[in-house]
Amino acid sequence: MTTPSGPRRRLVPAYLATQGRELAPGRQTLDRLSILHAAADLPAGLGGEHRQLWELVRPGALTVAEAAAHLRLPVSATIFIAADLAERGALQVRAPIPSAQPVNRDLAERLLSGLRALK
Amino acid sequence: MVVIVLALLAGAALTAGPLLWSARRAAHTARAAEQRAADAEQRCAAAERRAADADNRARTATARADDAEDRAHGADTEARAAEAHRTVADARYAAAVRELGHLAHERIPAAATALNHPRTPVPGPLDTTGGTDELHHALDTALTAAVRAVLAERERTDAAARAALRGAASKIQALLIQVRSLLEEIQLSVDDPRLLALDFRNELTLRRVQSLAVLSGAWPGMTREDSPLAELCVGAQSRVAGYARIEITNHLREPRLAVAARAAEPVAIALAEILGNATAYSHPETRVVVSIEQGSAGALVVVDDMGVGMEPDQLERAGDLLDGQAEVLLTELGDPPQAGFAVVGLLCRQFGFGCRVEPSPYGGVRAILRLPADLLTLTDPAAPLSALAPRPITQTTPVFDAGDALPTRKRRSPRVPQQDAPSPLPSPAGSTPDRARSAWSALQSGTLAGRSAAHTSPGPEGPAAPEGVETP
Repeated sequence: MTTPSGPRRRLVPAYLATQGRELAPGRQTLDRLSILHAAADLPAGLGGEHRQLWELVRPGALTVAEAAAHLRLPVSATIFIAADLAERGALQVRAPIPSAQPVNRDLAERLLSGLRALK
Repeated sequence: MVVIVLALLAGAALTAGPLLWSARRAAHTARAAEQRAADAEQRCAAAERRAADADNRARTATARADDAEDRAHGADTEARAAEAHRTVADARYAAAVRELGHLAHERIPAAATALNHPRTPVPGPLDTTGGTDELHHALDTALTAAVRAVLAERERTDAAARAALRGAASKIQALLIQVRSLLEEIQLSVDDPRLLALDFRNELTLRRVQSLAVLSGAWPGMTREDSPLAELCVGAQSRVAGYARIEITNHLREPRLAVAARAAEPVAIALAEILGNATAYSHPETRVVVSIEQGSAGALVVVDDMGVGMEPDQLERAGDLLDGQAEVLLTELGDPPQAGFAVVGLLCRQFGFGCRVEPSPYGGVRAILRLPADLLTLTDPAAPLSALAPRPITQTTPVFDAGDALPTRKRRSPRVPQQDAPSPLPSPAGSTPDRARSAWSALQSGTLAGRSAAHTSPGPEGPAAPEGVETP
């Protein structure tokens, strides 16, 4: 049993964000680390959750995963909202920032030996 | 002279002798005649007496004959009357047999059918004109007794069916709620959208089972806390197959207006049934318009569909069900079962809210759910509303960052200047250092803004933490 201050039983399921669709619209595929930017004003006719995501992203940029956490929705549902906004041009989606290239092992070894030489 | 005298005497004597004889004889004859006369007289008197006697007897006989004739006539009349009576009695007997046959073959079956289908006409007696009140009374009594017996048997059968259903529904409901909790957990770690579809199917199943549980007299199956009305409406929306067609507009003055814990789940179930009816009986491409209103003595949820509407007698039946006045039997729900209004009516009666239906100005049906003030409360302002719940249309600022501590709230221009925004198709490999810097700074500022929002909003610790495990 839950206490009043504890987490509540789910009343609003996340799948509502899909609006009954099986797949998110648009050609771009979004994943957890896709970065969302506000690109234009919020188009008319979009509901509360779209506005919330858009306002959340407007100050800068957020990854889908972060936006999902702030909206308290699963990533899969947030992707639908973000895709709706991206399709209407209100959001821009960037591919995830790639992790750094593997370092030059040669260089690293030389650096290491140089550091050791400093001792 | 003497001789003459003698001779005269002799002559006289001679003459007198026969005369004397004759006189004697005459006297004798006279006597005899007298005798005979007397005799005859006697006989005559006797005959007269006999005649009188016979006369008397004849008169008596005539009188008796008359009497007999009268009696025969009377008997004849009586016989005719008896014949007439018998004819009438025969006719009435035949009529009674016909009425009994009619009762057995037409009226009782029709009365039994009318219990399930109130519009079935129940025929009256064949002959209503005859003065057979007793017969009609007896027939009506038989009909009433038959109907009562059918009702009692139906009640018994229905109670048994309800008990069986109650057990099965509770078990399935418990399992489905566990499935829901599992799905919710998995959704946090797996991004496959099919999980959302699966969750939706599970919720549809759960709603079916829940409505059966309510009909069978079980507990609505879940306890909740005080729940914001907007969330309840969206939660009900999510339980309906055509939920994407449902448009909820929130007109509440107080966004935290909530339904008290004891009635929260029942209201959600009832509203889901209303929305289910609205979507099921309207064209799949029309909208179902829901408006959440806050009145002076409670809250209203008004649901309008643009469907085919309901006939007046359907509206009347629905009204009876919604009032909770009509008795609800599983056997009355039809095939497929149309349980919606029955479920709503039961919940209304048990938990003290109300519902009614009327023709909608949109062309279909308008259902109005009334929540009296004693079922309403305000939620803790610290508890965040779901992102998917509609905000009151007068309140433009999102609720999730409603704290004053959010500086970005009043910001009208993006922190990152528009010209620094990334191009629509940025290619990380070919980005210039300037672009990379602006992209990273945008990401940092966004992260900071989001984190400050998370820290200042007094919501649950982890925004995406699972929201508790539901148990039946």
